[in-house]
Amino acid sequence: MENYSPKVVCFSCRFGWGYLHEDPNLSRLPGMVSVTCSGKIETRHVLSAFKRGADGVLILACPEGHCHFQDGNFKTEAKIFMLRKVLSGFGIEGDRLRMVMAVDPAGGLMSQQVEELKKDLSALGPAAAPAEAAVAQA
Amino acid sequence: MTAKPKVAITWLGACGGCDEAIVDLNEALLDVAAAIEIVFWPVALDFKYDNVRAFKDSEIALSIITGCVRNSEHAEVAELLRRKSGIVLAFGACACFGGTSGLANFISKKEIFDYVYKDAPTVVNPNGVFPQTVTELDGKTLTLPEFYEHVYALNQVIPVDYYLPGCPPPPDLIATAVKAVLTGDLPPRGSTLAPRRALCDTCPRNKKKPLRLEITKINRIHQIESDPDFCFLEQGILCMGSATRGGCGETCVRNNIPCRGCFGPVPGVEDAGGRYLSAIASILKTPETEDLRDLTATVMDPAGTFYRFGQAVSILGREKLAKP
Amino acid sequence: MARQITINPITRLEGHGKIEIFLDDQGGVEDAYWQVVELRGFEKFCLGRPAEEMPRIVPNICGVCPSAHHMASVKALDDLYSAPPTRTARLIRELEYNAFYIEDHYIHFFFLAAPDFVMGPEAQPAHRNILGVIGKLGTEIGAKVIDIRKRNRDIIRLVFGKAPHPEGGLPGGVPRGITEEERETIIKTADDSVAFAMFALELFKDLVLKNEKYVDLIKSPSFSLATSYMSLVGPDNQMALYDGKVRVVDSDGKQTALFAPTDYVDHIGEWVEPWTYIKLTHLRNPGWHGFTEGPGSAIYRVGPLARLNVADRIATPLAEKERQEFFTVLGKKPVHATLANHWARLITALSAAEQNQRISREPDLTSKDIRNMKLSLKKVGVGCVEAPRGTLFHHYETDDQGLLTRVNLIVATQHNAAPICMSVKKAAQGFIKAKKPREGLLNVVEMAFRAYDPCLACATHHLPGGMPLTLVLRDRQGELVEVIRRPEEQ
Repeated sequence: MENYSPKVVCFSCRFGWGYLHEDPNLSRLPGMVSVTCSGKIETRHVLSAFKRGADGVLILACPEGHCHFQDGNFKTEAKIFMLRKVLSGFGIEGDRLRMVMAVDPAGGLMSQQVEELKKDLSALGPAAAPAEAAVAQA
Repeated sequence: MTAKPKVAITWLGACGGCDEAIVDLNEALLDVAAAIEIVFWPVALDFKYDNVRAFKDSEIALSIITGCVRNSEHAEVAELLRRKSGIVLAFGACACFGGTSGLANFISKKEIFDYVYKDAPTVVNPNGVFPQTVTELDGKTLTLPEFYEHVYALNQVIPVDYYLPGCPPPPDLIATAVKAVLTGDLPPRGSTLAPRRALCDTCPRNKKKPLRLEITKINRIHQIESDPDFCFLEQGILCMGSATRGGCGETCVRNNIPCRGCFGPVPGVEDAGGRYLSAIASILKTPETEDLRDLTATVMDPAGTFYRFGQAVSILGREKLAKP
Repeated sequence: MARQITINPITRLEGHGKIEIFLDDQGGVEDAYWQVVELRGFEKFCLGRPAEEMPRIVPNICGVCPSAHHMASVKALDDLYSAPPTRTARLIRELEYNAFYIEDHYIHFFFLAAPDFVMGPEAQPAHRNILGVIGKLGTEIGAKVIDIRKRNRDIIRLVFGKAPHPEGGLPGGVPRGITEEERETIIKTADDSVAFAMFALELFKDLVLKNEKYVDLIKSPSFSLATSYMSLVGPDNQMALYDGKVRVVDSDGKQTALFAPTDYVDHIGEWVEPWTYIKLTHLRNPGWHGFTEGPGSAIYRVGPLARLNVADRIATPLAEKERQEFFTVLGKKPVHATLANHWARLITALSAAEQNQRISREPDLTSKDIRNMKLSLKKVGVGCVEAPRGTLFHHYETDDQGLLTRVNLIVATQHNAAPICMSVKKAAQGFIKAKKPREGLLNVVEMAFRAYDPCLACATHHLPGGMPLTLVLRDRQGELVEVIRRPEEQ
């Protein structure tokens, strides 16, 4: 697994983590998705990311009490806890789905968060999306 | 006299409950049988695959197919009936979504074979024998269909014209569907022949549902004596009624048992399991946020519960049968 | 040059299967195989599920006998949670279970088996079905059959929501009770079911027992198999359906085992052959010695005939009288005539109807005490019922949270798998004498398995596949001579 670089999809809340599209450096990176609130992230977005080959998904949300829409971050957190278990049912390690609740309005720490997840994913190796694996065998 | 429309009924990876549901039309079945010519129905009639092969392409007006596709014989029969039929109706949760058999997609064929033929406590298999697709015995050859790695819904193997969900579909929807096919009064191809509304909308418990649902403690069905008049979610019991298509007759909830989603999701939902999960997540409530992790941990087996009937058509579980 | 005949799919049974017949140079049958061609894998894919969800999953093993799987599962939960059902819950369960027996045995007799006796084994395939039967017996009888089936399935619906997929069994109880108003309907159904059961037996005697040809067929050595028998028995070895001990008698009728269902692993083994997906159940003592019959064989049978051969008596009076007549006509116990299963099935249905006459009048039936809430997880549970097709075992083990860590299922058609293989071969050898047998003779071969009412959906709970039946004829060199399929005659 030399030269393996994990693919990460990162969803970030505009209010807590800055307006991604205003930063040319970040907005050009693949897999960066800016959302109005982490509460907007649906389970299917996360599932589709893995289906399409992501090795990890990172969700950058506001900390407790800071959600612009009251409790979008809290609801997403509940989803993430259960989604991790669901993912492991599909053979995808729960640790590949990470949620960070903090504030960084300038978005300066975003790349650092992505890199940290990538580092941890490198230890796990590529994600085995079950359907893809089965096709490869057939 | 014009010829009666020919109808075939068959099961693939199925339990036969859908066939029983058709027999449950009771007296009405005799009327239906008088209006059509049933040309294939293995559970009840003595026609063989060769009878079906003898038909011209599209000569059979309607094929009602139940069950998932689990092995090569299922795929062959599905393809044969597709070729010979004008309309193919995916009948029941297994044909529509893979059904409970789709839970097998969470594990591999090897794990299944190892347990069933080697590790189960009752197995006596000193020579480590496994079933084979071809077996030679004293010069005689015996064959078995190939067990696939994966469980498929019907439309992942052949094009399907209409869907009738349920485990099994209820008699009123069966009668309506058959009538619609016979009279030609059909919605666009690809439609599901069931109401569009969610089960919650017709649930008899809905009247007493509080304005704002909150779950502070998850209860499993055996742990409490649930009140037959109140919403299951209000009682902390997981119920899939909020995102499940209605039309089932609310049989489970009327029987004081929560919905598990055999009718599939309401229209427009791509991944039923994910939607159920979101619906539950949005009403979990803890006094302190740090308790949230503990509360979600009491949702047992979310994969097997939220994807009870729909694993094979879920975003991560779905797959098309690769033609050799 | 020998030839091979394939019958595919085999029909009028539940599930997918085929028969392969190998002919010798003279056109006689050298060998025959009955193959189950599918597998589903419930035992494995249920692991990790919460145990209490099992009664909602296992009915998908078989939609023809879902009530049997549901009930075995619920009883496994009773054991797993050390929670015996309340008296009322048990009455309600037994009521539902008897109603299920009635409708199940009649769907087999009238829809699947009767075509062979009413229309004749060699009638045109297109007429050899329930519609033909109704046409010949008259719509009035047809309506009666449909009515009694419907009303007994209404009892299943009342208690567990859906007849083809019952829902709601809970450890120690049932999800809803029965009202006095509902009791009235249930009493009426039970009474009418007894009357219908007597009518069905008379019909059977008129159609079959008064016809010498059929009696000869039943008593024919080609349809006889000398095996051991297994079924549940209650006190004084009376026939038991919902609960009891497992009793085994040998081919001479001598008791060779009597054990609690929890000990099933000590007595039952499952043999694996490469040419069929079904595992071949056999007695661990004496152990698998191949497809052999007679004394010392490990092969045993279950189902209606086995129940009569194993039990010493039936608790209900009308059925007991019929039981005695059964052995007067067919000879002393054990009766090895496979086709006698049809008669035994009708006697069981009568007994179930009589039981429901009693249960429907029990004062406690309508009590509100429907749940035993004193649950204590002991992490292992075995549930066993006498299913219509034979003894059914569900064995669950869990972790501390009640999530499944092991599931083992032994189903009726598995017990009968080896006997069916043998019965099919014997019937083929007895009836197929020509290189190109008539279609009707192939149906006679199918009658050999049909008598068992095999449920291949059940049998294949291990993995999913399908079970229509094909008959393949091959020559000695294994060359395919012919795949005979019914349509040829039309």
